[in-house]
Amino acid sequence: MSIFSNKSEKIFIYLFFVIGLFIPLFLEGNTFYINKLSTIIILAIFVMSLDYLVGRTGLITLGHAMFYGLGGYIFTILAPEYEAVNFWIYTFYVMLISGFIALIVGLIVLRTSGIYMIMITLALAQMTFYFFADSVEYGGQDGLFIYVKPETSIFGLSFLDLENETHFYYLCLLSLFNCFAFFKVIMNSSFGRVVDALKENPDRATALGYNIFHFRLIAYVLASSLAAYAGYLFALQFGFVNPGMMSWDISATALVMALMGGLGSIYGAIIGSFVYEGLHYYIEHLTEYWMFFMGSLIIILVLTLKKGFAGFLNDLSGGKGNE
Amino acid sequence: MDTSLFLVQLLNGVQYGLLLFLIASGLTLVFGVMGILNLAHGSMYMIGAYLAYYFTTLTGSFFLAFIISGSIALLIGIVIERFLIIHLYKRDHLDQVLLTVGLIFIFNSIQSFVWGNDPLGVEVPALLSGSIKLTDIIEYPIYRLFISALCIVVAVSMYLTINKTKLGMMIRAGESDRAMVENLGVDISKLFTIVFAIGVFLASLAGIVSAPIVSLVPGMGEHVLISCFVVVVIGGLGSIKGAFVAALIVGIVDTYSSVLLPQISSMSIYLLMALILLVKPQGLFKN
Repeated sequence: MSIFSNKSEKIFIYLFFVIGLFIPLFLEGNTFYINKLSTIIILAIFVMSLDYLVGRTGLITLGHAMFYGLGGYIFTILAPEYEAVNFWIYTFYVMLISGFIALIVGLIVLRTSGIYMIMITLALAQMTFYFFADSVEYGGQDGLFIYVKPETSIFGLSFLDLENETHFYYLCLLSLFNCFAFFKVIMNSSFGRVVDALKENPDRATALGYNIFHFRLIAYVLASSLAAYAGYLFALQFGFVNPGMMSWDISATALVMALMGGLGSIYGAIIGSFVYEGLHYYIEHLTEYWMFFMGSLIIILVLTLKKGFAGFLNDLSGGKGNE
Repeated sequence: MDTSLFLVQLLNGVQYGLLLFLIASGLTLVFGVMGILNLAHGSMYMIGAYLAYYFTTLTGSFFLAFIISGSIALLIGIVIERFLIIHLYKRDHLDQVLLTVGLIFIFNSIQSFVWGNDPLGVEVPALLSGSIKLTDIIEYPIYRLFISALCIVVAVSMYLTINKTKLGMMIRAGESDRAMVENLGVDISKLFTIVFAIGVFLASLAGIVSAPIVSLVPGMGEHVLISCFVVVVIGGLGSIKGAFVAALIVGIVDTYSSVLLPQISSMSIYLLMALILLVKPQGLFKN
């Protein structure tokens, strides 16, 4: 069977990655736009992980940015200050450690659900925020700097130079593609089907003998360590980490982006991130008070566009889709 | 720490706890009756404080500002419920979160548009300025005692309203069985408007009275909101009694930890919350 849920998804994904692959050729030398695109792609990875968690398992978190920030901090704390480390090895470390932290946090927050979980995830993220903001060792409010970027050789062969904006852009694009493919494989696996069933009807899934808690915990750990990976990329791009990466509004904005794209659609996370950041960039140029328009837009979206842009595209193309 | 310092910290802790109760009770009341989690609750605290600043500067009288700001807050509550929250009753939690996040964005930009981003302050009203002697050497500001007294008055009147009046009866009934209340002929939409307006009013009231003792900065609402979440989670969502007990615990723990354990003081209440959750996932006073 096809990995795509519907026609519009298939068209969108092909178009996006083909354009994404060739666009640096047209932006030759314009590092501002290349950097901007890399930032949005990193954001899309973060939003995608949240979209899976919220849209597929039905667990609503307002503390996802905690792992985004942790990803950056884990790398910065572990890596030696003036020595280039291997990117792939540290990717593994970042995801493993953040996954372990997510396991412990998950054991606490997944004991609850609904409104409780929203408040507790937010409070725990805030706690982590204060932990880093108050620690002298980790730079307090100013955070930490990354002086040397990692090198990316595999078996002695190196294709990517992370100091080069275009190379970094391709790394981000590749990561987004892998992330998308990963979630698609998960969703089509038997694990993914059980997760869908739990969201649909937890009682029936329990009656069928599935342990809801285990499935939710695995989904939580997966989504959290991918969020940490996105935070790791963000830290590499800008060369620093600070507690602001964990602030509640990053989590809330990511939820808005996931909603814009269409919750649970996975590819919608890409649409949501680009639409939100595009609007942000555009309105910010017009007025300093862009948050006013963003806030109004969010309210209008919640009240009208229930399935997000992904659902809208699907309706346009006349597809029935899987939902 | 000697006895007198201990006493002053206790008074500070109780005062902060009572203030937290004022805000958290509004949050938990709205959730208990209407099933709505209002993330913009902290923004109402912020708006209350800034309105108090605005009208104190305009009229020169804090008490006049108190009355005007309180009335405006009630009005804001009614408008938000009638035009926005009303669409959320049949929606899921996520829509509540997103819509109220939108409201936070709007209130924050209104705040920075009207009042700018520099810290502002309100003077303590002349009548309540000054201190009283607790012992020979220790003095305590009267204004802080006034806040505590006011919060206690509000808590007692809430208790009486909920337990002794007809409105309170409807509120209690609405908490336990909404459909039945509707079938018995109570105008539930009017009840919801009243409850939501009261909730907004309580948050703003806290903002108004704390305006003279805190500095007014952007983002003050979110900080308070998250502390309130801790209170509500510890106390049990929807329980006003729980909010009262938890607010006092949180206020006292927060105040003492900043004296005794300054390294982890800003984390202390969250650690407390995590500990209580491990033992009682539904909070201390689950409804």
